[in-house]
Amino acid sequence: MKKRLNLILLSLCVMALLPGTLNGQTRKERKILYHSQYNYEIEPVGVGQDGTKVFKVWGVGKDVNEAIMKAKADAVAACIFKGLTGGAGSAPTPPIISEPNAEDKYADYFETFFEVGGKYLQYIAVTTDGDPSGQDRLKLKKGYKVAIYVQVMYDALRRQLEADKIARRLDTGF
Amino acid sequence: MNRACLGINKNLHEQNLNASSIRPIKNNFVRMKKISLLFFVSILTVSLFSQAKKPVIMVFPSDQYCISRGYSMTFDNQGLSQTLPDYKKALQTDPDLRLVITKMGQIMADRGFPLKDLEQELKNLEQEGAEMSMLTSKSGAGIVESPIDKLKRTAKADILLDLDFTIKKSGPQTYISFNLKGLDAYSAKQVAGVAGAGKPSASAAPEILLEEAVLSQMDSFNAGLMRHFEDMFANGREVKMLIKLWDSSGDDLETEYDVSGESIELITAIDRWLDDNCVAGRYNRSDATASMGRYEQVRIPLMKKDGKGIDRAVDTRTFVSDLRSYLSKAPFNLTSKVYQRGLGEAWLIIGEK
Repeated sequence: MKKRLNLILLSLCVMALLPGTLNGQTRKERKILYHSQYNYEIEPVGVGQDGTKVFKVWGVGKDVNEAIMKAKADAVAACIFKGLTGGAGSAPTPPIISEPNAEDKYADYFETFFEVGGKYLQYIAVTTDGDPSGQDRLKLKKGYKVAIYVQVMYDALRRQLEADKIARRLDTGF
Repeated sequence: MNRACLGINKNLHEQNLNASSIRPIKNNFVRMKKISLLFFVSILTVSLFSQAKKPVIMVFPSDQYCISRGYSMTFDNQGLSQTLPDYKKALQTDPDLRLVITKMGQIMADRGFPLKDLEQELKNLEQEGAEMSMLTSKSGAGIVESPIDKLKRTAKADILLDLDFTIKKSGPQTYISFNLKGLDAYSAKQVAGVAGAGKPSASAAPEILLEEAVLSQMDSFNAGLMRHFEDMFANGREVKMLIKLWDSSGDDLETEYDVSGESIELITAIDRWLDDNCVAGRYNRSDATASMGRYEQVRIPLMKKDGKGIDRAVDTRTFVSDLRSYLSKAPFNLTSKVYQRGLGEAWLIIGEK
């Protein structure tokens, strides 16, 4: 009798947990999400000086330094592939490459461009990469999610991609 | 050590023609230079002739901007009072406008599209008019300028950047309301546009806010312009075409001709020519009578091959000239005149030159 009661209780527990397991994110899914190449978290903070864009960008990593480096790479990647949302007085900025699936088409180029210590760092002018604190530094179960303020040399980045024939120049064909 | 791309010339007779015994290899350099020169000239030729005609872009302050600030001229047009913008006055007296145009010009030049400057163009036109009225030949002959030539002597562009901005106050704070439209001068379509208000500030000077407004909006505006150019390269340049008749013309657009064994009206023959020559046969005959045919959204190719197989840029005049050439042959045998109204509009006037 006791055995049967235990079995019923166990079944009820499993049934109660089942919807949560189905709808919630697994740890693996969360990991994929954090490391997705499309998951840029950007917040505009104003209008940059001539040829630059300033915004706040979030990065996730095992430690604060890794998260900061991820945030820098994401800042440049957002300018190239996603564009920047408008806000805080700045108008929306379109991505430098308007061609769909450019990240796959030029995968080899961008692999080199975004490698550790790669050329992308040339286009980050100013960051607040002294350790972020307060609301800009979130402790996760395994690692950190931090926000840094970056100034991306948007025009210089565009010119480089145009020179490398990755982005189309406005006057191409004329 | 042999240089790359440089085979040793073993023909001693040839070497002796141009080089001394001290530098026997000189002739190879001469040959290499010639080959390189030929190569670069051919590359240059291909690149020169494979470019589409570049549209001219010019910033104009909007009518609303000029008139609301008093940069306007009012005159009596057959009993009707008409107010027109006075661009010269606006450019000479409004420092904010000059600042915005300069900043836009700097950004556009960086993108490979230096803007034609309206102020300079107005000065040039004035100077040109003055010189034309003074210029005489040795025998005392003046330059011929028809009334239509005079009428055409105005500041023109293919894409007009219609600019409007206002410095607004909200309590102690100042902000900029900015509106920029890119208009195709021929189709009158808006090909790009941005509008919005900047962040209010109590401390920043209006000049800084204006600069911020331009910096903030131009990337988005240029993305719109890029989409327009991409569409142009994919589907052809969108132009306007008008068919008219001289009153001396014996035929009209309803005159029937025998084309390939079928009796069709002249306007139908023109339609069929457009079917064959527009990009993907895309055009729209928006209106037609016996004496007029109006074609809009005519998609003309940007390039065509000439008789020598070289790519040549096509504009509306070239395209309409091809139609004129078609109509000059049998069974039509019509003489007609091509009248150009810029890069994107031309008229074909049938009857005589």
